[in-house]
Amino acid sequence: MSKGISNCKHCQLKLDNNQQDFCCIGCAKAYEIIESLGFKNYYQIRQIDIFERNLKPEIDNDFDISEFIAKNPDDSWHLELMIQGLQCGACVWLIENILYKNPQVLSARINLTRKILILDYQGKASDGNKIISPLNQIGYKFLPFDQEIIAQEEKKYNDSLLKALAVAGFGAGNIMLFSFALWFTNVAEMGLATHQIFQFFSALIALPVIVYSARIFFISAYRSLVLRSTNMDVPISLAIILAVIVSIFQAFNGQDHVYFDSVVMLIFFLLIGRFLDMKARKKAFNIATQFSLLNASFARVDDNGKVKILPIKKLQKEMILLVASGEKIASDGIVIEGESQIDDSLLTGEIALKKVIKNSQVFAGTINVLQPLKIKITSAINSTILSQIIELINQSENNKNSCELIAQKLAKIYTPLVHILAFITFIIWYYINEQSFQLALMNATAVLIITCPCALALAIPIVQTIVISGFIGKKILVKNGEALEIINKINTVIFDKTGTLTQGTPVLKAIYSIENNSLKLLNKNDADFYLIIAISMAKKSMHPISQALTSSCDYKTFDVEVLEEKSQGLTANFDSELLKKILDELKDRHQIIDINKKILIEKDLKIWLGRSDFCKISKDSYQKELLLKNNDNYQQLTTFMKINQQQIIFVFDDKIKEDAKEVISFLQKQNKKVILLSGDNQRNVELVAKKLAIKEFYYEKSILQKAQFLKNLQQKNQQFMMIGDGLNDAPALSLASVSVSFAKASDLSKNIADILINSSQLSPLISLFIGSKKAFKLMKQNLFLALLYNLIALPFALMGMVVPLIAAIAMSSSSLLVILNSLRINNFFANKKT
Amino acid sequence: MSVLIFLIPLAIFLSLIGLLAFLWALKNKQYDDLDGSSKRILFDDSTDNKENL
Repeated sequence: MSKGISNCKHCQLKLDNNQQDFCCIGCAKAYEIIESLGFKNYYQIRQIDIFERNLKPEIDNDFDISEFIAKNPDDSWHLELMIQGLQCGACVWLIENILYKNPQVLSARINLTRKILILDYQGKASDGNKIISPLNQIGYKFLPFDQEIIAQEEKKYNDSLLKALAVAGFGAGNIMLFSFALWFTNVAEMGLATHQIFQFFSALIALPVIVYSARIFFISAYRSLVLRSTNMDVPISLAIILAVIVSIFQAFNGQDHVYFDSVVMLIFFLLIGRFLDMKARKKAFNIATQFSLLNASFARVDDNGKVKILPIKKLQKEMILLVASGEKIASDGIVIEGESQIDDSLLTGEIALKKVIKNSQVFAGTINVLQPLKIKITSAINSTILSQIIELINQSENNKNSCELIAQKLAKIYTPLVHILAFITFIIWYYINEQSFQLALMNATAVLIITCPCALALAIPIVQTIVISGFIGKKILVKNGEALEIINKINTVIFDKTGTLTQGTPVLKAIYSIENNSLKLLNKNDADFYLIIAISMAKKSMHPISQALTSSCDYKTFDVEVLEEKSQGLTANFDSELLKKILDELKDRHQIIDINKKILIEKDLKIWLGRSDFCKISKDSYQKELLLKNNDNYQQLTTFMKINQQQIIFVFDDKIKEDAKEVISFLQKQNKKVILLSGDNQRNVELVAKKLAIKEFYYEKSILQKAQFLKNLQQKNQQFMMIGDGLNDAPALSLASVSVSFAKASDLSKNIADILINSSQLSPLISLFIGSKKAFKLMKQNLFLALLYNLIALPFALMGMVVPLIAAIAMSSSSLLVILNSLRINNFFANKKT
Repeated sequence: MSVLIFLIPLAIFLSLIGLLAFLWALKNKQYDDLDGSSKRILFDDSTDNKENL
């Protein structure tokens, strides 16, 4: 049962059927602000970024930023904040222009890549809050930005890599001026003086490039040698250094074998590979930064009658927390005032709400659904369950299941092999052929240059770059490029249940009436009649079951006065006129109307909707049969309605995702073991496993047990993928070889996951497996092509026949071939079916 | 051939200018926000931006 497409004009969230234009007052107000400032065309030009937070304004969201204001030398103020909710360039335009409307603002600039606002303003320091408050009202969320050091560090590397690339590119281009002349002539034709001048200029360009741009390789090689290991940078560095030394000698003696051009080109190509590698990684978020953001929320505290807003870090034992409905609870504690229901699905994975009263224990990270609560903090902030989970993940970050990548494997064999070959070449020429030391050294150097892993360095990053951007169109965001390779070694796939294999929200399943202690399934007519009454009442309530009711159909609703008794139920009076209207509406939908006329006799009809005791329906009258009738309904939520003597039960369940079966059988066909790992009870887990034909399943697993389960798999040397969305899956995700989460998952899981699926569906997983397989095949092909070139050119180098021209051609053509081969995968992404 | 003595340094000099221009742009943070800058150019300055970047 789907609704027509109507989204909130401001935040673009789906509207309920009784809402017009806006989903909440906050959004309506935000729209008004934007309109009144004359920026209405923002809505036309923006493009919603589905991976970004939506623009729904949060009440009480504005925190005190005064701690983060710094003073500029000219007595103005400087503020850097991280922004959540930046959708696209239009948001940049909107925010900057709104800020510039304020005469106090000296400069406002947003960095869209890093999602940071940099603001300079004059006046009082404390005005900062006022300046950004219109943005809070529009729905952007600001977070303190105290991870600057990490970001700076990263930026430094990016900058130095770009600079090195620029210098190498400059060198590679200009050195060709001389190389072309040198390649196609010789000393006799050119004259010794001209020849040497050309070589001199080549050296003049090459040496600074080598010193400046090749530093990255030298440093990396040095570090690797200090650790007594070896990587690709070792032969690269050795080849560069030897080639330069040999070339200088050759140039001084007026010889032909000058490799300056090859060396510069080599550095240029290798740096391109590094640059692509960096770009592929860039989308991956810095986990440390994200963690600090998670902790950077704020809480309201009752300080002797005064409300104070404190960063969560500063919360202490015995403080009194104020938690409005809909808010996240900031710390573990005990309820001292108020009654409400708590959504702890992120912690436990269960969708049923938990009722809390005075003295109930509540946990950090859960959401207060119904009424405001006063909570006394019982544990220090670093010992809440939430922070324990984060601690657990921090530890397991280093324990992530390791998997040797193909490039690392290759480097281990390739590096020593190349060095041995070069050494043998030297021995043969010097001792066996009895040539001069210089010639022998030169030929050994030629071997090193020709085998230099130039195309090898490009082979993998280029595939990663292309595949990662291709996957975005398939609703898959790959945060970690290495995951593309590791997926192919996965032999076990572990699923969480609630929210992963199932929808994670209650869906209306059936409507029964209770007659003589037995249940009767209502026919479509009757069911629709009661449903319209129910949704007309439920639309006034924020209770999750009410919302599940209203979203179960798109029928017209009627306005009626509803009384809500919190966490009990709703009552309303329907007069006969209203009931008639409902019947008319039904007539439009169904031909025959056959409603039990008894209920229409009375003029005013009082209707109860809610818990069974609220509707005065005894549990004995239905419970037994409900269990019997719904033995395949694994997670059962009910709500009741009473009209006159008529008793109705609405039954909800957590539906299995439509494509879950397809995905599971795809995986099983690929000979992957599928495991279901859930925190839910035995019956529910068993039923889902049975329906999806999953043979191996585990139930009632706590957060720690889930993590322990994965650790055990690690010890068995298995490569496994974990797919989950809840907070309770987060530690397990961090242990998996490859972790997958959903765009709607808990923040923590999203940050940890290597791959995010931006859809509530599971089928992108199939694309992920097929695409990664193609990508890995391409990587292997690329490596093969690159090695093949080296192999063909190697005998020439051994025989001392490699002149600089051949070295240059071999190097650039193999790199080009690798790039062209990688582009073939775009066919896969252009195909809409897969 | 003697013209080369003049032409070669000239060629190198010209491309050096290009290189320096790039490094200057990098230093001036023009490569900091490639996503934002590529979009920003599409929007009109409806208000008087006080920044002259």
